[in-house]
Order: sequence, then C-alpha cells, then structure tokens
Amino acid sequence: MKNLKKDFPIFKTYPELVYLDNSATSQKSQSVIEAVDTFYKNYNANIHRGIYDLSQTATDMFENVRKKVAHFINADSEKEIVFTASTTESINLVATGWAKKFLKKGDVVVLSEMEHHSNIIPWQRLRDEIGITLFFLPLTDDYRLDYQKFSGDFSKVKLLALTHVSNVLGTINPIEEIVAYFRENGSGVKVLLDIAQSIPHLSIDVKKFTCDFAAFSSHKMLGPSGVGVLYAKKEILEQMDPLLVGSHMIGRVTKEKVTYADIPERFESGTRNIEGVIGLGTAIDYLQQTGMKEIEKYEKEVTEYALEKFASVGKIKLFGPKISHNRIGVFSFAVGTVHAHDTAEILNRFHIAVRSGHHCAQVLMECLGISGTTRASIYLYNTKEDIDALIKGIEEVKDTFKQ
Amino acid sequence: MQDPLYREIILEHWNNPQNFGEIKDADFVVDDNNPSCGDLIHLTGKIRDGKLINIKFTGEGCAISRASASVFTEKIKGMEISDIKKITPDEVLEELGLQLTPARMKCALLVYQTIKATKPFRE
Repeated sequence: MKNLKKDFPIFKTYPELVYLDNSATSQKSQSVIEAVDTFYKNYNANIHRGIYDLSQTATDMFENVRKKVAHFINADSEKEIVFTASTTESINLVATGWAKKFLKKGDVVVLSEMEHHSNIIPWQRLRDEIGITLFFLPLTDDYRLDYQKFSGDFSKVKLLALTHVSNVLGTINPIEEIVAYFRENGSGVKVLLDIAQSIPHLSIDVKKFTCDFAAFSSHKMLGPSGVGVLYAKKEILEQMDPLLVGSHMIGRVTKEKVTYADIPERFESGTRNIEGVIGLGTAIDYLQQTGMKEIEKYEKEVTEYALEKFASVGKIKLFGPKISHNRIGVFSFAVGTVHAHDTAEILNRFHIAVRSGHHCAQVLMECLGISGTTRASIYLYNTKEDIDALIKGIEEVKDTFKQ
Repeated sequence: MQDPLYREIILEHWNNPQNFGEIKDADFVVDDNNPSCGDLIHLTGKIRDGKLINIKFTGEGCAISRASASVFTEKIKGMEISDIKKITPDEVLEELGLQLTPARMKCALLVYQTIKATKPFRE
C-alpha cells in the first residue's frame, strides 16, 4: 500500500509528527475535511420536514450516509442504523432502551475484563437499578479472552456485551466462536458488540457475527467526532425505548399524549450532528476506496514489524499478544520502572504522540496489576519509519531514567 | 544533555523519595487518586501541639508526582498547621522549579491537593 500520509493535512502541518494515538482518535483525510466544509458552504439546512430544496438536499445527503453505513457493516436495512453522539451513547441506548425494559432481577449480562468503561458503567448502573448480575470473562496468560471460564447458569445469560477488539491489548476476540459457545450451552443470549476499535481496521459483517447490537464511533475511523452509530436488528429496535425524548422523534403530540416516530428516527431526538454524519459518509468512501482488506493486510505487516522491534528492545514489557494473529496494531507497554506519563512526556519531545494512563479500562488495569501503560496505536497512514521513531524514543526514555 | 523536566534533582527524588513509607500510629490517614491517570497517593501523619511532626507517603505515581510528594512532605514536616494552610499551589510549583503543562500540573499538585482536602489542613 502506498504511503497515505499525503491524504491527511495534519502531516503537512506537522511534518515531524509521529502520530501513534489512533485508538483514541484518528486523523482526518483531506476528503473528510472538505466534505464538512462543502456541506456548510453549499448544503447547510436542517434536515427533515423542510419543504425547500436546500433542506431536501441536506436530508438526502444525511439519509444517504445511513444507507452507506448499513452497507458498510452488512446490515439488512438502513432502518437498523441509529445516529448517536458516540459509542458510549449507543451502548447507553441499549442499556436504557432495551435492557432496562426487557431484563429482570437475576438475569446475567456477560462482559469481559478487557472492556472499555463505556461498556461497563451502563451495566453497573443497570445492575444497581434492576438487580441484574454481571459476569466478567477473564483473560488468558497471553491476553486473550478465556470465554469458556463462564461459571453460572447459561439460561440466565440474557446479554453478551463484548468488545470486538481491546483498546489496550490489541486482541481481536473470536466473536463467532464465543457467541456459538454461549448459544450451544443453551442461553438464548442477545449480543452487543463494541466495535469502536475494530471497524477502523477490519471488515465488519454484523450478519456473520449474528449480533443483535453493534456500537461504534465516527472519529476513530477518519470521520468527525460527535457522531456514533448504533446498529440494532429491526425487530429489536422496534421494541426499544428512546434515550432522549423531545424534538424530531415524535409521531403525534397533543397536550395529553405523544406517539413516537418509527425507527430509527425515534432514537434521534434533537438536531443530530448533520455535518459530522456527512463527514462519516466520506470517511467510509475513503476506507472503501483504499479497501478494508488492503488496510488489514498493510496494518498486519506494520504490526509484525513493531512486534519484532519490541521483542528486540530490553527492559520493555508488552501487555498484549506477542504474535500478529488475531491482533491489531495497539501496543501497550511499560519501560522498566518508568511511569507511563513520564514515558509519554519523553516521547513527546520527539513529536511522538502516544497515550498513557488507564485508557478507560481500569478493570483491566486492576486485573493486570498495574496502574497504567503507555500505548502506541497505528492506523493506515503509519509506516515502519514511525515504528523506528518510537523505538528510538523508547531508547531515549531508558537513557533519561537510567533503565 | 540534561533534560529540562527530568533534571537530576527530580530523578534523585524519584529514585530515593523522602518520607516514603507509612506511619503506624498515625493521627490521620488519607487516600486519594488522580482520576485522569489513575495514580494513587496514601498519606499518613502525626500531629502534636498544632504542628505536623511527621508525614509519610506511598502510592503509585509518575516521576513528577513522586518527586513533588517527596519535596512537599519534606517542606511541611515540622511546620505549624496554620502555616501549612496558607501554602498556595504556586509555592509548590515554585519549589519544584519546573515548567509544567496543565496535564502535568495535576501530577505535581496531587500531594498538595490531597493534604489541603484533609482535616485539619482544610480551610
């Protein structure tokens, strides 16, 4: 794959930037930036219920992205796509709009120890509200999910809420196997996948996963921030309650009562981030033109290179699988006894952008017995030279702290 | 070349922090954390006649927070509580003599803010 940095203006602004914080957010392509700019210049109007041409055009553009998203993840219909503000909001919508309505005391929601806070806290809150039980699937020694360790009554398991890819370890979880395991053991389980960390890097097929819900964000896949997506099967979405009520999501309102709009509008109260959705559409175009298979192949190559390099540096502990199989390019590590923030601070001197801390995964940190890690995460524009720069930076960290 | 932030003095305090440990029969025990990074601090202290006669800390933290805890506990040990109450954040930062970004300021001030939120040092 050719070097894609030229498509991303930030690298023109900062030619020295080694951006390795892609798990937090991705950079934006020229095409995405232009799409948002062009929307404001040529098409800006509020969507839905506008009689004039401009509003109709904006509505068509917005709804066209819904179709594009549905196609991108292989959903049956664009009616199964809800635009939210974030992955977090998408998961909250499932917890409040579906689980709170259909789960009861004693029902079990199975999570994993590698979940992001956004897929833990909504379930803890629901546990406190209605008395569901949470079970956290543990990890193996090589940072995979030990999903056969579930202990309890399978028939009580009503929801598997799992991340597809760990934002700390880079582990790709074998979703089809896990789902099959729970269903074979007699649980009529619904499945919610947090695909925020996988959809930027891997082809996603919700039918192959046989999942009922999937949540992700635009900003990690080249699109603008402030836009999330919830995919949910049509028949489930039809039974769900909205998270917010108010404008746009109504059928008919009188002083006495209200009827709700059909799906997916029922869940999109308030004016959505229209230009953000338009930008997401352009981001999907960019990813498809580059080719998800190509991206996956290229990133695997860089990941293998990075894993080799990490193995060759002394005094480094990598928290994540040591081989590229079922793994993406997220590298959480510790340099000797140096604190993650100090490592990130030194790397910043060399224009290397990494994240440090608990990565919104404090449950995982506790399981690993650490307070945080330094994390470098790649995307389609990163090169082997970026990895070389990172390794050189790590040597500087070791030097400064005499490790 | 000496690093502008991780100067010898900071690294020295990081490697060999003063007042690191725990006082068994402490008059106050306090735990706090920095939610942005998950760092923890555990403080124990002894008070006699309106004076902080001993203070120790443990916890997980970066070089800046550990060095700051080392320097700050050393500064306030033996001081009158009424004087400790008067210390401002700027004085703590000045003592460290570092140019800090807002994110790292939280690391440097964790020990100070923990003390300031603890009886009898609270305003």
